[in-house]
Amino acid sequence: MGSAVRRTLGRLAGALFVLWAVATLTFFAIHLVPGDPAQAILGGPGSQASQEALDRVRADYGLDQPLLVQYFAMLGRLVTGNLGDSYALRMPVAELIGGQLAGTVVLALLALLVAWLLAIGLALWSTAPGRVSRAVAQGVELTAASLPQFWLATVLIAVFSTALGWLPAVSTGTPTGLVLPVITLAVPLAGFLAQLMREHLLIALEQPFALSARARGESATGIRLRHALRHAALPGINLSGWAVGYLISGAVVVETIFARPGLGRTLLRAVELRDVPVVLGVVLLVALVYVVMTFVTDALSRVADPRLRQEARP
Amino acid sequence: MRSASAPVRTNRRLLTLLAAASGATLLLAGCTAAAPEAASTPTAGGTLVYASGDAEPDCLDPHVGGNYPQALVAGQFLESLVSLDEDGAIIPWLATTWTASDDGLTWDFTLRDDVTFTDGTPLNAEAVKVNVEHLKNPDTQSSTGYLALGKVESVEVVDDTTARFHLSTPDSALLESLAQPWVAIESPAGIARGMDENCLAPIGTGPFVVEEWVQQDHLTLARNDDYTSAPADAAHDGAPYLEGIEWRFIPDSASRYAALQSGEVDVIDNAQPDTIAQATKNGSLVEIDAPRPGASNRIELNSSRAPFDDVRVREAFIRAADVNDGIDSLFFGTATRSYSVLSSVEPLGYSDEKLFTTDLDAANSLLDDAGWTTRDSDGYRTKDGKRLTLRFPVSTNQSIPAEQSLFEQIQATAKEAGFEVVISPLDISGWYGALFSDSYELVSAPYTKIGPDVLRTLYDSAGITPAPSGYFANLAQLNDPELDELLRSAASTSDTEERASLYEQAQKIILGGFYALPLYDQQNHFLLSTSVKGARAMPTVSTPTFADAWLSE
Amino acid sequence: MSELEVRSTVTVEAAARPLPRVGTVLAGLFVVFLAVAVIWPGLIAPYGPDAIAPRDAFQPPSAAHWFGTDESGRDIYSRVIWGTATSLLIGVTATAIGLSLGLLLGAIGGLGGRALDFAVGRVNEVLFAFPGLLLALLVIVLYGPGPVTATIAVGLSTAPGYARIIQGELRGIRSSGFVEAARVLGHSPSRIIRRHILPNALAPIAVLATLGVGQAIVWASALSYLGLGAQPPAPEWGAMLSAGRTYITTAWWMTVFPGLMIVLTTIATTVLGRAITSRRGGVR
Repeated sequence: MGSAVRRTLGRLAGALFVLWAVATLTFFAIHLVPGDPAQAILGGPGSQASQEALDRVRADYGLDQPLLVQYFAMLGRLVTGNLGDSYALRMPVAELIGGQLAGTVVLALLALLVAWLLAIGLALWSTAPGRVSRAVAQGVELTAASLPQFWLATVLIAVFSTALGWLPAVSTGTPTGLVLPVITLAVPLAGFLAQLMREHLLIALEQPFALSARARGESATGIRLRHALRHAALPGINLSGWAVGYLISGAVVVETIFARPGLGRTLLRAVELRDVPVVLGVVLLVALVYVVMTFVTDALSRVADPRLRQEARP
Repeated sequence: MRSASAPVRTNRRLLTLLAAASGATLLLAGCTAAAPEAASTPTAGGTLVYASGDAEPDCLDPHVGGNYPQALVAGQFLESLVSLDEDGAIIPWLATTWTASDDGLTWDFTLRDDVTFTDGTPLNAEAVKVNVEHLKNPDTQSSTGYLALGKVESVEVVDDTTARFHLSTPDSALLESLAQPWVAIESPAGIARGMDENCLAPIGTGPFVVEEWVQQDHLTLARNDDYTSAPADAAHDGAPYLEGIEWRFIPDSASRYAALQSGEVDVIDNAQPDTIAQATKNGSLVEIDAPRPGASNRIELNSSRAPFDDVRVREAFIRAADVNDGIDSLFFGTATRSYSVLSSVEPLGYSDEKLFTTDLDAANSLLDDAGWTTRDSDGYRTKDGKRLTLRFPVSTNQSIPAEQSLFEQIQATAKEAGFEVVISPLDISGWYGALFSDSYELVSAPYTKIGPDVLRTLYDSAGITPAPSGYFANLAQLNDPELDELLRSAASTSDTEERASLYEQAQKIILGGFYALPLYDQQNHFLLSTSVKGARAMPTVSTPTFADAWLSE
Repeated sequence: MSELEVRSTVTVEAAARPLPRVGTVLAGLFVVFLAVAVIWPGLIAPYGPDAIAPRDAFQPPSAAHWFGTDESGRDIYSRVIWGTATSLLIGVTATAIGLSLGLLLGAIGGLGGRALDFAVGRVNEVLFAFPGLLLALLVIVLYGPGPVTATIAVGLSTAPGYARIIQGELRGIRSSGFVEAARVLGHSPSRIIRRHILPNALAPIAVLATLGVGQAIVWASALSYLGLGAQPPAPEWGAMLSAGRTYITTAWWMTVFPGLMIVLTTIATTVLGRAITSRRGGVR
């Protein structure tokens, strides 16, 4: 019991450290970037900011303060849960992110799910008997993993919206509008996951338990589905934390192409405009999700792999 | 190579005639109704879906900041005191008449007495006064509108319908400035709500009303049933036919076009040249080509230091850069080469084609004369051990892919004469950064403004001294007292002929000094589904208006 | 037996089944072709990479232009050949950066004591918590877009992934039976690392590397799409892909051929990588 509490507290401290470090790194990295946020706030093609306006903006947003003062002001705000106001959109960051969150979460979760299903299918296919099917499946995996998302999206739009007219080219707020973005995000991820899973599947199949199950008369397919898959799922689960970053990065491209509201697009625009509070907000949120995900996947892999449970009991 | 015969400077009307004469289905004129079937009866109802490729504004009130994306959408719900007709003449809008005093320092505007803002506040002289004060207040953070009203000192309320503008110096561009959407008139009660709220839904007198703004997705505009204040050149008076507009933001040009093709949206802006050519050839879509007023798209040559402080090197670059073939192939006939620093819709634009003929031999001998005689192993010219390098920051937000490709072709042709052109594609903040730090030799910066006074913004030496912010509009860093004098006199004269002659002399100095390489008008192409009728681009800054539009079928 | 135990605890698996030999030969031939394209592009490319001919723009594939021409009339086949060096350089260097950093972090964490393991774990988590693209965006806005910064950006953003995998790999090997046995036999730690741990870790790292090259090129191409990749007129594959995307409805060949090169390169390097590791490692 005590060790469990200690471990949880340790995790919590670790999580806070990660969030602090992420906030600090982002803050200073953004401030190293050339480009005047005040100008960016007032700028835009063809407009010429007056000095009064610039001074006003700098004072309004505290941009005239020394960098360290701004840093501690930011930390102070963060501790109280205040993410500050967006430079560009003149609204609280929390409100802005809240409005964009749902779209990205739905997109990312669906993409993760579809990627998993595709990956399992591919992994099973590529370990099926027969050299030809194996080679083809591996080819499909590699191709899927090396498709640039922006290119895949364009091809999907050209085929399914423009030529066939089956699916909308841009987000419409309806479920059909989600199909192409989800596929775009899921396919390369599935190719990557499938490669990892297949290797583990192959090894699991040669483990004693698989042989004994075979000896008991279970069918080859049955063994692959019931036993081996569990082992193969392990690296995938472990990588789900990594997948959060992948999905957010992918969301930047996918949301831009399919004109979906969401965090990815918010992040890209905020970086372009040097909108520090928004960049910080999005990055902190992603870090938080990542921390939570690692916690969950750790727990999940303990369930999937009994050996880890023993290891944790020194 | 384009032949040097026909005068390329044409006005809008001439282009219309040419388009009609050649039987082209695409409408080259920005200001005529898009639908040839305009005679058919308009039907009321329906929601039009508009997809914009321009950046989503941070604030919908164009008084704040003041850029083109704001003007695009604000034109649907805000209106100005005056407007322009197709020939560039000032016509009444919220103001019915105006008179200037003999010294040009006092202007009286008579307002319509039957117009109310959509919140019920009446349009009166007090409202105009509040708007001008709002624009001039530093708290508003206005840039474009603030500059447009630079010579306006105050507004006096003479009576309910008469607003008197007091100017510090005569301003021949006052009416043109007031026609711009960045100085549109908003409800004083709306302004009084404060910037945060006013940014979300400014209140005007326009044909539509902001109903909802879902950031990074769309804006819902609803019909203003009490609309009465159409500009003098509108096709009909009274409430718009459309029930509303769904104004979407689709930054990716390929998706935007795909959405239009599949019928998810009815109108797109920033259409790409190849798609315009494809769509208009098979007649599946209708195009409105509405070049923006003000400056043409041109590459400015930074004349403040070596190598471009030497006019021979500037001329050599312009003679070496071959752009005509590129414009033909990249723009699929949607853009016409310009030889003027002003837009072809500006009646006072002056152009001189022979200054810009490509001639590699001439370029080479000019560079030899200027002392760039040696070449290094990569084939670039050098002088005193320094390579002839031209840094060219390119804004990926402002230059469409075809334009970026054109820059690459300029890079390739200039290389033959021994120029090394280093193109850096940058995001908008990085691009401003490159300009502020003066680390460029070449730059293309669009500038939209009504009237030739844009020349003063772009080429008056006062525009070189960067504001402490670092911003300066005179990117060629042209410093010529004679030119300054011409531009300042032109801006304050009330004599039309003298104004025209002063601007012509000024443009001769700019073109003859090889400070800029004009490319084409600021491209502004809209593609419309064939069911959209009666839409047009405003002759002011070429933003679309749907006050007269309806959906057939 | 010990071999099997090692394999079952690793995160990314090295032991690939050898693919059909035909595949390996084809992959080998393709890599030779790439090598020629890198070393002597002029030999197989009929035109220069930057030779513009605006009047020949948007030509579909033909005898004169095998892969067609682009928006400036440049020969796409020639550009693909000339671009091999840049593209592979980006892919290989980025992977090298990511792997070296990952190896460093992973080795410190995986071979050091508990405290180091913990510290590296935290550093890794912090890096991991950054969306890779943000890391790349920041590097690029800091140092300006270009092939070098794009390479560094991609390398940096892939490092935590490698570190994590390598760390897990090393930890798995360290706790495996034969290392245990070597320790019991009294072998020195450095000898254990040299003789037992590194050789076993190399194979999976080699597979990671071959996979990584293609991934890095894809990553760099995404940066090009966002306008942050290689500088014009560099004929880099990712930049060509993203430039051609604009014209997908009118000139499909502008995207298909550079895209094909990326996919084929990824497949060829992976297939070869696996063939080599399975022979060297002598696994089954």
